[in-house]
Amino acid sequence: MNIGSFDRYASVIFAIIGAAFLLESRHIATSAYGSEVGPNVFPFLLGLILILLSVKLFLESFKSITTKNKNKEKLMFKRFLIILTASILYAAVLEIIGYLISTFLFLFISFQTMEKSGWIKNLCIAAAFSFCVYYLFVVVLKGSLPGLPIWFS
Amino acid sequence: MGVMDFLMQGFQTAIQPQNLFFAFIGVLIGTAVGVLPGIGPMSGVALLIPVTATLTGGMEPSAAATSSIILLAGVYYGAMYGGSTTSILLNTPGESSSVVTTLDGFQMAKQGRAGAALSIAAIGSFVAGIVSIVGLALLANPLSEMALKFGPAEYFSLMLLGLAAVSGLAGSSITKAWMMTVTGLLLATVGIDAVSGVARFTYDIPVLFGGLEFLTVAVGLFALGEVFKTILHKEDDAENIAKVGRVIPSKQDFKESAAPIARGSILGFFVGVLPGAGATLASFFSYIAEKKISKTPEKFGKGAIAGVAAPESANNAASGGAMIPLLTLGIPGSGTTAILMGALIMYNIQPGPLLFSDHPDVAWGLIASMFIGNLMLLILNMPLVKVFAKIIETPPKYLLPIIIAISVFGVYAVQVTTFDLYLLIGFGLAGYLLAKNDYPLAPLVLGLVLGPMIENNMRRALTTSNGDFMVFIQHPISAIFLICSVLWILIPFLLKLKGKDVVVNVEG
Repeated sequence: MNIGSFDRYASVIFAIIGAAFLLESRHIATSAYGSEVGPNVFPFLLGLILILLSVKLFLESFKSITTKNKNKEKLMFKRFLIILTASILYAAVLEIIGYLISTFLFLFISFQTMEKSGWIKNLCIAAAFSFCVYYLFVVVLKGSLPGLPIWFS
Repeated sequence: MGVMDFLMQGFQTAIQPQNLFFAFIGVLIGTAVGVLPGIGPMSGVALLIPVTATLTGGMEPSAAATSSIILLAGVYYGAMYGGSTTSILLNTPGESSSVVTTLDGFQMAKQGRAGAALSIAAIGSFVAGIVSIVGLALLANPLSEMALKFGPAEYFSLMLLGLAAVSGLAGSSITKAWMMTVTGLLLATVGIDAVSGVARFTYDIPVLFGGLEFLTVAVGLFALGEVFKTILHKEDDAENIAKVGRVIPSKQDFKESAAPIARGSILGFFVGVLPGAGATLASFFSYIAEKKISKTPEKFGKGAIAGVAAPESANNAASGGAMIPLLTLGIPGSGTTAILMGALIMYNIQPGPLLFSDHPDVAWGLIASMFIGNLMLLILNMPLVKVFAKIIETPPKYLLPIIIAISVFGVYAVQVTTFDLYLLIGFGLAGYLLAKNDYPLAPLVLGLVLGPMIENNMRRALTTSNGDFMVFIQHPISAIFLICSVLWILIPFLLKLKGKDVVVNVEG
């Protein structure tokens, strides 16, 4: 996807964001006590400006579309998707299975995805990192993180 | 009390053992951040906010703020220095502000003079740091006294000028930069309105009442965005790292670089003070200036030591200069200072003219610690240059997942909600897509940090004028700021129409 066509999609999305703020700001109370300018004015104006800018970008996107050369670069979609999914799962289970296990699993999966070789080394680094962070933060600095799952400890 | 008394007090704050320790950790991590590809000063500072928040957990609020801002500022100027190491040894700049350093730095490395280049960069950075601290100490009081006279209308216009400056210089398309700014301002309106107490755009979702946390957004956009980019695009492995060689520069090197360092420092400082300009422009300007002044311009690009000394001094001086608008006016001029400001606000300390009267220990402690931090950088970097060069060899296969893990840890440690983690990943994706298509990210963060302040000042000004928007033009100082912001937008536009290349700031 070249920059010109991305700009066109982006301008539509930004216009929708602007319009959403513009319309929704009408549901906010229009005045504050002792002031004529309520909490709705600022988002309303900004939404309007964003829509105008999106229109400008939409028009400009036709100019830039021809100037960009199309060099197809091979993207590593597979490893990206695996790591992205792993990150989302990591966020989802962090509170359920605790910091130690979830971080270890996330790091190990990601290391393996980046490069298959040396799984023992990967295992050690993943374990060492999650343990060190947990130890430093919770034991030394007295911070709070979900440690191990409740049914485990 | 005069400036000297304040500065002495600042030094008393800065040489407290814990603050010395924080400054040391800051510059150490900063140098590592600068050396490592993939984490810039912005994401480095953002990532360390949660860590400092925990480190300072048991201290008094004001002391905690001082210590953590000392650490975070250390990361900032440490990264400025560290960026030069990769430029010289690898020909790949760690930060955009050291792009010009590659021109002569890598040539010097090829000739076996990498050690000399690195240590001249360290000395230049040190001198520049000192110059900018002197400037900061001299300008702080007069500027904050002037700013104390500002009313809400002046403040609104001044912040608008700050936004205009950053948006006007960021990236290749001004439209895109402004869109990012406006989006940042809009995102800042989510949550409870500080003036009226009305909930806006929250839809009764409890996590949204506090608004979008700038820390989550900044770490997502900068750190995760960069990681996603590196994962998707196959990196070029097996780069040759030049040998460091002899570290102590020769007498000839000193002689050739003394004047460029002095000029670079002063030029860099003034460029840094201007909002929006920042370290990248400073280093470009000083390199071009040195080439013009030099008696042997043909040497530039072939390993002239002046071509390393001047830009490296300039980018460090600029990072010191950028602290001036932040501390005295409360207006960050770049992405990194916006993040520093967000950190100060997290500690309930509002940067701005009142900072020097309400929290002199924070303001002057920071200024004094920058002096100490620069000294540490010099002492640290001369012998440890070879160790830092080793950090470059950290394989990305380990580095990238660990950056994700640190981001998740950092955001969760401060926010303690899973929602913020999803937000983090979402902004990471957005950051990657936007940055890849030339949308500058710094204006968005700036808008997010400045949004509530701009809005409050606008509404306060409008309240006193009964809703009349002319109030911003009727106040003379406010009108001057507005005219400046219009010029800031129009001049690059007119130059572009004339077909001239406008230097843009990629660092933000």
